[in-house]
Amino acid sequence: MTRPPKPTKWLVVLLLLHGIVAAAGFFAPYDPIEQDRERPYFPPMRIHLIDAHGHLHLRPFFYPLRLREGSFDRYEEDTATTIQLRFLASGARYRLLGVVPARLHLFGTAGSRIYLLGSDAYGRDQLSRILYGGQVSLLAGLLGAGVTLLLGALIGVAAGYFGGWRDELLMRLAELFLALPWLYLLFALRAFLPLAVSPLEAFLLVVVVIGMVGWARPARLVRGVVLSAKERDFVRAARGFGASNLYLLQRHILPETASVVLTQAAILVPQFVLAEMTLSFLGLGVPEPTSSWGNLLATLQQYNVLVSYWWMYLPALAIVPFFLGYLSLASALQERASPYKIEEKTNWNLS
Amino acid sequence: MQPLLKVENLVKHYGAGRSARSKDKLAALDGVSLSVLPKTTTALVGESGSGKSTLALCIACLEHPTSGSISFEGIDLASLDENQLRLLRPQIQLVFQDPASSLNPRWTALEIVSEPFFVQRRYSKPDRAVRALRLLDRVAISRKMAARSACELSGGQKQRLAIARALALEPKLIILDEALSALDCSVQAQISNLLLELQASLGLTYLFITHDFGMAAHLADQIAVMDRGRVVESGSAENVLYSPNHEATRALLAATPRFSEPPAELVHA
Repeated sequence: MTRPPKPTKWLVVLLLLHGIVAAAGFFAPYDPIEQDRERPYFPPMRIHLIDAHGHLHLRPFFYPLRLREGSFDRYEEDTATTIQLRFLASGARYRLLGVVPARLHLFGTAGSRIYLLGSDAYGRDQLSRILYGGQVSLLAGLLGAGVTLLLGALIGVAAGYFGGWRDELLMRLAELFLALPWLYLLFALRAFLPLAVSPLEAFLLVVVVIGMVGWARPARLVRGVVLSAKERDFVRAARGFGASNLYLLQRHILPETASVVLTQAAILVPQFVLAEMTLSFLGLGVPEPTSSWGNLLATLQQYNVLVSYWWMYLPALAIVPFFLGYLSLASALQERASPYKIEEKTNWNLS
Repeated sequence: MQPLLKVENLVKHYGAGRSARSKDKLAALDGVSLSVLPKTTTALVGESGSGKSTLALCIACLEHPTSGSISFEGIDLASLDENQLRLLRPQIQLVFQDPASSLNPRWTALEIVSEPFFVQRRYSKPDRAVRALRLLDRVAISRKMAARSACELSGGQKQRLAIARALALEPKLIILDEALSALDCSVQAQISNLLLELQASLGLTYLFITHDFGMAAHLADQIAVMDRGRVVESGSAENVLYSPNHEATRALLAATPRFSEPPAELVHA
């Protein structure tokens, strides 16, 4: 038996990943909506240290691309000129974390643009769009999970603690929500709204919809924990001293639900990021030119993009480290909350 | 003498919800009458499922009886509203069978024993800590243990802690619901002596719920025997132990383990 992994380890990994996305302005070399119509669908470019003549350069550089002869969409490196990468360069203006105005970027180029992860139909830098798109997708996931857990925990506690007809009513409602075909519900909701909504409105709509839809499952889990917690003898004992419902909930019952809520949070965030991606992919989410992981993938709906430009799939890879981080965190939290706490403390090492 | 606690014709049905039909109802208590004199120990003996714990919960106002009355110092508990009940609750305290479940495992011993002060908003903050430490001293839990969380204490220490917590609000009646059953023999002896000592110094009244006639004989002045939701026999400890009238009492007495006479060849050896 191995010692279960510490949740803190995964928490640190996730914080780093989120930090990169939150500071997208610094890590992205360009403004995500800045177009360059001369360079549509440029493939990812390579960074070199050794040039075509075999000389070693101390500063990494790249060659600009030019159309291959006799082709209209195949590019090759033009080795006549080298363009040096500049680190901690000043470039497009942005606001760090949406507040602090800044111009500093991790790297930049003078003159020709470098597309490390290729460019899209309008010559926009994919790397920058993926980083900025992560802000929208992750924020939607986090806020959606927050709304869901708040609703779920409130409803679960109310149902479990007060019981009786309230429990019956809330749990039937939860079953109804679990059974709803929410994607179609969203279509219907979207049909009510005007054709063009602002990115902010669309974002809030997505958050509210995914937040409202998911509460039923955490509510049922929390209800279960509350049902067993309120029958514990220490709750009875406290009632026996004359404790009020509010006191019992605050001091004894809510702390019992904490591990379930945290585990649910770690499971729900990636689920909701995926939900945002689905909605944006279908065009129901955040509209262009703002990028999100979902609408970056939406170009794949065009057949020529699907078969010709493999780098347009890259936004789908961006979510992988986040998913692994969140799911590992969830399982670490779950193991920590398991009833075999003493074994964990005594640090058995039988493997 | 005026009894401290008087239970009359108490009935408690479970599963009496809206959807349950009358024949599905389970009578946990089926007309229990009992009275407990102040500063005495009354043992309530019965096999599992005879309704002892339900009676304990009803007396401690943690369950509502279906019918019948409980009066404490002449006050009918059913007539009290929530606020009056809050003031009366400190008078009646319950010690549970399993201390692992009756103490919040996340809390330290000191937090647990001072919880009743917080709930009842008694005493100033520094005063609470002093009183809590004094209570822990009473049940022989050291200062070093006071900072440990409840799950780190041994079974005997946990039960002593639970007793200290029950004493915090200076109750008149303590209901011990199988409070010794989960402990091993030497710890049982230690805690039963602690209980006797506390009774002598604080003038406590005990309602001692058990299935063990041996313990009842050791602690009790009065014994009441319960069977299937009814008190079938009650009286002074000697009478019940040495001249039992009811079949259920005899069956329980016969089931109490004891040493048989030693074989003759060992007596002289």
